[in-house]
Order: sequence, then C-alpha cells, then structure tokens
Amino acid sequence: MTLRPSLAAVGAALALALFAAAPVLAQGGNLVVQVSTEPPGLDLTASPASAIAGVIFYNVQEALIKVDRHGKLAPWLAERWYTTDSKNYTFFLRKGVRFHNGREMKAADVKYVLDRAVNPETTHPYRVQYEAIKDVIVKDDYTISVTLKQPDAMFLWTVARQGSVIYPKEAVETMKSQPIGTGPFVFSDWVRGDRIVLTRNKDYWVKDLPHLDRVTYRFIPDANSALAALKAGDIDVSAFGLGPESVDELKKDGRFQVILGDTTNDVTLSLNNTKKPYTDKRVRLAITHAINKEEVLKGAMFGYGKILGSNVDPLNPYFVDVSKRVPYDPAKAKKLLAEAGYPNGFDAVLKVSPQYSYTVRSAEVLVNQFAKVGIRAKIEQIEWGQWLSQVWKDANYEMSIIGHAEAWDIGNFANPNYYFRWDNAEFRRLYKESEVTVDDKKRRELYVTMQNMLADEAPAVWLFMHPRLVVAKKGVTGIWKDLPVPSFDLSEVAWQK
Amino acid sequence: MRRYVLRRLAALAVTLFFVSVLVFVVIRVLPGDPAMIILGTEGSPEAAAQLRRSMGLDRPLVVQYVEWIGRGLRGDLGRSIQYDVPVASLILSRMNVTLPLALLAAVLMIAAGIPLGVFAATRHRRAADYIAMTVSQFGVAIPGFWAGLLLILLFSVKLGWVRSGGFDGWGQGLWPGLRSLILPAVALGLFQLAVLARTTRSAVLEVLAEEYVKTARAKGVAEGGVVFRHALSNAMIPVVTVAGVQLGQLIAGSIILEIVFYLPGLGRLAIGAIGARDLPVVQGVVLFAASMIVVINVLVDLLYGVLDPRIRYE
Repeated sequence: MTLRPSLAAVGAALALALFAAAPVLAQGGNLVVQVSTEPPGLDLTASPASAIAGVIFYNVQEALIKVDRHGKLAPWLAERWYTTDSKNYTFFLRKGVRFHNGREMKAADVKYVLDRAVNPETTHPYRVQYEAIKDVIVKDDYTISVTLKQPDAMFLWTVARQGSVIYPKEAVETMKSQPIGTGPFVFSDWVRGDRIVLTRNKDYWVKDLPHLDRVTYRFIPDANSALAALKAGDIDVSAFGLGPESVDELKKDGRFQVILGDTTNDVTLSLNNTKKPYTDKRVRLAITHAINKEEVLKGAMFGYGKILGSNVDPLNPYFVDVSKRVPYDPAKAKKLLAEAGYPNGFDAVLKVSPQYSYTVRSAEVLVNQFAKVGIRAKIEQIEWGQWLSQVWKDANYEMSIIGHAEAWDIGNFANPNYYFRWDNAEFRRLYKESEVTVDDKKRRELYVTMQNMLADEAPAVWLFMHPRLVVAKKGVTGIWKDLPVPSFDLSEVAWQK
Repeated sequence: MRRYVLRRLAALAVTLFFVSVLVFVVIRVLPGDPAMIILGTEGSPEAAAQLRRSMGLDRPLVVQYVEWIGRGLRGDLGRSIQYDVPVASLILSRMNVTLPLALLAAVLMIAAGIPLGVFAATRHRRAADYIAMTVSQFGVAIPGFWAGLLLILLFSVKLGWVRSGGFDGWGQGLWPGLRSLILPAVALGLFQLAVLARTTRSAVLEVLAEEYVKTARAKGVAEGGVVFRHALSNAMIPVVTVAGVQLGQLIAGSIILEIVFYLPGLGRLAIGAIGARDLPVVQGVVLFAASMIVVINVLVDLLYGVLDPRIRYE
C-alpha cells in the first residue's frame, strides 16, 4: 500500500525531470543555411554530387529505406521488407504517403524508379549498383518484389542511397530544376547563383514533422564571407562552408554552437601501383612508415578528424582501427627503402587540387615528412577538372591526395582499373565473397580481413577521416552530429523556444 | 559619322566571330571533361561516356561549332548544363546584379575620382596634393577583396547597418536592392577611383602648363573658369580613355567581389561555369562580355568627337 504512492511520486518526478531536460521546440520559423557549393542541378538520379544530396536528400526526396543519424538502416517509405536469401526481396510500402503533387505513392512508382535506374539510356550515375536487379514485380499497390541475378549483401544499402529516391513518374522530366518527392519540405524556388528555398510540407506522412516553415540555402563560396555572414547574423547555420581554422574562435563565441562529428570521407594519399617505385610493396610501406598522421591532421585540419588505417570509415558498422598496424617509424621507412633498392630515396610528384584546401595543406606536411626519409616530393597543384582527367581517369600520376566521401567504397580496391591501379587477386576474391555473404558475422570477418590486408599491403595511405563541421546559432536543435550519408536532414531541426 | 558607326559595327561582328571561335576551341582544349566533372569520382567511365554522348560532345568540333553559332545567330545561346535554363535568360538575370554594381562603382569612380584629381592638380606640390595622392595610393594598393572584407567587418559585423552579402533581387524595391550593392560597389570602385584620380591629376597638370591657359589667366578669367572650362575640358581625352578601359575592368573586377559578397552576378556565373565545364554558359558569357567591352570602346570613341570638336570620323 505504501509502495504505490512512492513509486508514482518517483515516476512523476522522473517524468518532470525528463520534461524539464528536453528542450521545448518551437513549431514554425525560418532557417537560413549556408552551403559553399551550389548544386549542379537538383536531380539525384543524374549526378552523384554531394551538393545536390545536401539540399534534396531526406528534405525533398526520400527512399524506401533511410540511413538514420547513427548510420543504421531504418524502414522509411517501405515500412518493412522481407528476404530469406538476399536474392529475392519483398518491400511493403507505407500507405497514405503522398508526393508533393498530391498523388499517393504506390508500388508502380517504385518499379518505375528501379527500372529507370537499371536502364543504361537514363545515365544513372550509380547504374552499376542496380545491375544486379533481374526483375521488379508489382504485387499490389503497396507490395513490390525485386529479384536479383545473384545474392547481393549490399542491396538494402543500394535501396537506401541517394540515387534510389522515389519520385513520381510524371515529374521525371523536371527533376533537374523542380524536384518532387515525399519529403518533409516542398521545393519552392531556386534563384540560380543565390539561394534555394524549401517550404514545409503540410501533408508530410511523419506526424508533427517538420518543425520549420521555411528553409533557405544560401550559396556562399568563400569561407571568410561565410564567417562574416554568420557573425553578422545573416545566416543561422553554416553546413559545409567553414574551415577548421575557425573552430576555436567560434567555440569561444557564446552566440554559436560548434558541431563536430564523423563522416564517411576518408582522406587518402593515393599511389599509382603500376608506376615504379610504387609497384614495390616495401616502398609503399616505407611511405606509410614515413608519415606521422597526427602531424598531418594537425597541419591540415587543426587536429579535427580521426586518424585512419584503412579505407573503412568509423561510421561503417564493420570498422576496425588498423591505424597502428603500420605506425610512424622513419628509421624503418629508410630501411625498407634501402631494401627495395632506394637507399638514397627517390623523386616524386604529388598532384593535388586546390579546390579542396585540405589536400594542399596535407601535401605540404607530407613533403616535409618525406624529406626526412629521403623521398624528394614536389607538389603540383592542378585545377579540379584537370585532376579528374589526369589523375582519376587516366591515372597519369605518382601520388595524389583526395577525400573519398562515398560510404562502402572498399570495392574500389577490388577494381584494378580504378585509379589506384592496384591488382590483388586475393583481395578481389575476399571482396567478391563479402558481396554475396549474407550472414552478418561472416561478412564482418571478411571486412576485418580486408581492412587488415589493406593496411599491410598499403596500396594507398589512409591519412584521416575528414570531420563534419557545422556551426549553428544557439537555439537551433536537431542537427545530425555525424554524417553517414551526404545529406543535411532538416526534418527534425527546430528553433528552441 | 554614320559610316564610322557602321564600320565599327562591322568590326564588332568580326571581333565577336573570332572571340566565338577562340572561346569555343579553348574551352574544349582545356583538360577536364564536362561529363566527368558532373559525375565526379563516383561515376564510372561508362557513365561519363554515355553522358558525353547525350550532351552531343562526341560529335566533331566543327559540327558542334556550326550548330552553336547557327542557333546563336537566332538568339538561342543554348541551355545551361548545371542550371537547366536557357543561357540567354541566365545572363540577363545576372546582369540585374552586375550592371547596377558596375554602374554604382563607376558613378563612385567618376564622382569622386575626377574631382579628387582636379583638386590635387590645382594644389600642385602643396600639402593637399600630397594628402590626396597618399589617399589614392592606398586605393591603388588595397586589393578589392580585402577592402570588401574590411567593409563587411565594419558595416555588417560591427555596426549591423547592412547585410554582409547576398542579393534578394529588385522585387523588394529599389532601396533594398541598392543597399545590397553599396558595399561591394565601394570595394570595387576604390581601386579605379584612385587610378582615375591620378590620371586626372596628371592630365590637368599638363594642360595647366599650356600657353592658352596662361592666356586665359592673363585675360582675367576667374580661376574656376580656367580650371573647369579650359583645363579640365581639354584634359578629358586621356581621362575618358582611361575611364573607358576602367568600365571594362569594373565588370571583370566584379568577379572577385561577387564571390566575397556572394552576389549572383555575371562574374560568379562565369567562374562557376568554367569550374563545372558548363560549356554553353562559358561560351555565352564570354561572347556577351566581349561584345559589351567592344560596345563601350565604340561609345568612348564617339565621345571623343563630342569632347573635342577637332576630331572627325569621316
């Protein structure tokens, strides 16, 4: 008898405490978000540019499955799915979800989206990932089954990615400039060169979301201008615009909150494995031993970010830290170089594109570190278009630095034609096996083996994970800390009351 | 006069033809494939080849050029790859920003630069001359982008009088539009103002040493009349020549200030289009800018005749 009231009191007190701790969110309001790059079109199925995803993905258009803020797959436009063999999938669609043009989303729309992705005529940037699809069958308005040519352990991730957003067939021709989807915001206006405006979707299928009435993305390419705009109060959030050099100053400023998180962007020192002396594993390992990654991180990113040991980023569920396998050891680097026939080191050219300032900053630190073991590296800065042509397409390079932002891209090392030009039969076998291994435990083991192998073979050197850096006015809540997908999800973002 | 104008118009057509060939070839010779830039490091070479085909970039250069110039003569400059809108309308929408910006800067340059130069010349080798020239030296030495940042820090961040950048269009009214352009116009015009002040000073000084100025003074013409009617009007030929060149430079110089003040102007359009290899836009903007500069030069030439009746065009 006496226990009941006290339990109730504790419960009430707990509820009160929770209520007091949770911020009270305002319904409505406007938000001005700064981004440095204007999207090259707004069609997620025409270009993989992360600038498009940053505006459209999860805000205007959504997929059957969502990668949540923790990097986990969550049922979304499909409320559930079913597979026994990772070859035959059945998706059950959520009922009552409407596109921004008022029409209800049905299974026929999903079929149209997947068929179009497979069709080579439509130049879908990720077509390779959909090539496993053999058949898409509409069972009824809310049920669709997909049959693959062979089991594909990555298929659910493919369905969750930005290229798999569901759009109405009737809007396909105008997606480049007027995207329509099922998301929490409706595309309203794109003033080329200046801003994109999204407004609240009043009929959004998730109850009570979104909070904001209106979101304006402003394109401010210059980091100094973005900082000034933030301080002048002209923007509320800087999403992808500020450099790490501003972090300390902004942390001390009581008007702002600095959000530092993880991303899938692994900044890589790429090596051309078909060019001498990089064909020699001992040379590649010597290069790795010669690099003090902590120093590189300090020099390039003011210490923000995480040291990496392989291509797999910390947001990947199979991530293991292999950064200590080939540690900083200049003496060992020199010894390995001597063994490989380069006791006096060698000359090298390091091609980087100043479009991404971290690449040039990293290169400057690396050149100094290389000099200590006898590698005489010279930095060559080239424009981004040239970089894509010379380095990435033609592999006309020795060393380069770039951030690989794609999640789940370990397969690049299983592709001998990729610009690393690394051809290792054992790694290719492991990767192929991982693609068809459905059992999670076995798949994880394969991923661990692959990460260790990458560290030990050193076909490239993984320097650090580029941090996510967002600065917002105090009072803005709901922004994702980490960035497992290149989206800037504003559905839960609100102003605190 | 009419024949002169017609001759200049013919020269304009020839210039634009060469510019069109040059820009068409140069942008295609540049390393960097538009399809690959669109797809980035995530697109496969096959996808890039397919995209190139769908954009018509796999056809011979001559065929591409003839088609482009043919459509261009009918007023169709093509469609932007990244923006998916007609290039002509894109250029016109950007001129809403760049033209008023350049005009504001030009007004500042002329309204302040010429009086400053005359003021310094009439006080030759006196304290006021040295002060005026020191001030203009600062104007020449301070790069526009830095002046822009300093102005933002003072008037937007510290005082909060104007926005730090951006442009919401003329739809909101004349004053909000102008207010967004004042700081960039000052930053843009500062350098040219200083150059014009120095040019005016030298030109006026030279004329002031002429015999006819001495004659005017001997006849008892008031000093104001000497300076403005006799000296300045005769010094205007070099001043107008420099100012004409400067007008072109103001349009070119607006690129960097459009970036600092994040204004959606023509310069930023050009820079973005070059980076993205948005070929129709690059071609359209370069042709447009080239024709503007040629037209300004023709106008300056015509102005010579107005300023100096001795100059004849026939």
